[in-house]
Amino acid sequence: MTDTTGRIRAAFAEAGVTGRLHAVDIDSGAETGVDGDHRVVTASVHKLCLLVTLHELAAAGRLDLTERIECPADTRTAGPTGLAAMLDPVRLSLRDAAYLMMAVSDNAAADILLERVGLDAVNRTTARLGLARTHAVHTFGQFLATIKEDAGPGGARSLTDPRVIARLRALDPARTNHSTPRDMTRLLGAVWRDEACTPEHGAAMRRVLGLQVWPHRLASGFPFDDVHVAGKTGSLPTVRNEVGVVEYPDGGRYAVAVFTRAASTAAVLPPADAVIGTAARLAVDALRGR
Amino acid sequence: MAVAEESHFGRAAARLGMAQPPLSQRIQRLERELGVRLFERTSRQVTITKAGSLLLDEARELLARSEALLAAARRIRDGESGLLRAALPPDIAGETVAVILRDFRHRHPGVELELHELSTAQQLGRFASHDLDVGIVHHPCDVAGLELGPVLRREVGVLLPRGAPEAALAEVPVPALTGYDLVLFPRAGAPALHDDILTACARNGYTPAAVRQGQGSSFVRGLILSANSVAFSPRDAQSAHAAEQDPDVVWRPLAGSPLTWRYSVAWPQGHGDTAVSAFAEAATNALLESATVSTDAPASPLYLRPTAEYWL
Repeated sequence: MTDTTGRIRAAFAEAGVTGRLHAVDIDSGAETGVDGDHRVVTASVHKLCLLVTLHELAAAGRLDLTERIECPADTRTAGPTGLAAMLDPVRLSLRDAAYLMMAVSDNAAADILLERVGLDAVNRTTARLGLARTHAVHTFGQFLATIKEDAGPGGARSLTDPRVIARLRALDPARTNHSTPRDMTRLLGAVWRDEACTPEHGAAMRRVLGLQVWPHRLASGFPFDDVHVAGKTGSLPTVRNEVGVVEYPDGGRYAVAVFTRAASTAAVLPPADAVIGTAARLAVDALRGR
Repeated sequence: MAVAEESHFGRAAARLGMAQPPLSQRIQRLERELGVRLFERTSRQVTITKAGSLLLDEARELLARSEALLAAARRIRDGESGLLRAALPPDIAGETVAVILRDFRHRHPGVELELHELSTAQQLGRFASHDLDVGIVHHPCDVAGLELGPVLRREVGVLLPRGAPEAALAEVPVPALTGYDLVLFPRAGAPALHDDILTACARNGYTPAAVRQGQGSSFVRGLILSANSVAFSPRDAQSAHAAEQDPDVVWRPLAGSPLTWRYSVAWPQGHGDTAVSAFAEAATNALLESATVSTDAPASPLYLRPTAEYWL
């Protein structure tokens, strides 16, 4: 196991990132990790907590996932994908908004759902599931607003300036939505074992987690047609995260949470994305080799 | 905290510079005092309990605050005769070091400056362990938990064999380096900077067929002269040695200045007291005195891709 953690640390260093990881065998509970209890910034990974909250409320009969919701064009949260990138008013079901939130990390879809359920409900759900070190302090729109404010008049261009990076509140776990790698694998384990919700809702959550489109992080570590990867990414300047579940045809299933911070401020940094898959694979191979 | 982070009593003890038995005893005593079991122990490893992980953040904050308290008390106790632990990277010119020292003593005559020569990675480690108050770090580096002074830039040019056709140019366009191998410091030393340099080369039309590892100046010189290679070097490193001009290797600026070495003064967040500020100002001014250092950021666009997930 020491060899595994050593290799994971070396992979992070080689990719120019500071990385935290926790991986657990969903059925046996065997685990491995590198700084797995370190408090980390979740960014869009927190959309997973919102998804579970939504299904929990639906299971309790507090809302109907087929209920239609309006996403007006002028007040929606900004983002490069999904409703956030669309120009005209949209009307869709809660569960389709949840699909967009998970598949393409749609910030507008996430915030209309968050408006519907409330931030407190999300924190109640994570607390109920025993994620004692996971907390959401603001919506995705508020969260993006802090970046805009801290970046100053230079806008996105100034995010390559190390001095701007050092002052972003969005990168300080004490002042933004946060969790730990271990809390996130615990949440995924609960979703996969149908402990978070009823089996029917569990299956719905697993379906949308499996529909995420990004291939460059967790999935890149498992280039095998017969291995299923489901997950949710989170990204910010210098931050690249993904939490997910890797399932093998022999029934082995592993929850993995990887949170990284790159030294380089470059927005495009393929090795920092890929090392999430590399590190996850090292961890999963070690758990499978036991 | 060390036990939680290492998941191993032996490794944690080694990190703390103590023997394992007293560490185990202290953990047991702490568990008795708190009335909470902090760790599950197996023969192979130690894992933190849920109760332990609940207390970890608070412990971390408590420890950081107690460090800050001790540092503040030390300065108050010592008045103006405190100690400032500062670091400079190995590539800062001797004259610049002298200017920084002189200026700092002038600003803060009472404070004793304990100056170390440390790489960026070493400085980040010492910031994390509260063994360093202020330093000059190279970018890119992980700036989590740090505050930074202005980002300074040193212009970088290319070292070529004197007989190369490009050596006849006043400044060398980057694509003209095509056909030469590149000599670069070993990647393991600073992977992010290494990759940034190769990305900047590729962006400007130069993708070397081979990247050779080399750091020492005579070894690099040998590769340039005999192995069809070029290397990058800051302008000020050349002017410093202008007197002893190399008969075989020449330095030329790169057209459009596409490469810069960036660095800044850094200190742990919330620990910027007057001595730290005085050092930061002295160091920044000394570095700005050298004509090739500037604080201007290049005005290139930044296109966020959809995978960025955020949008401004």
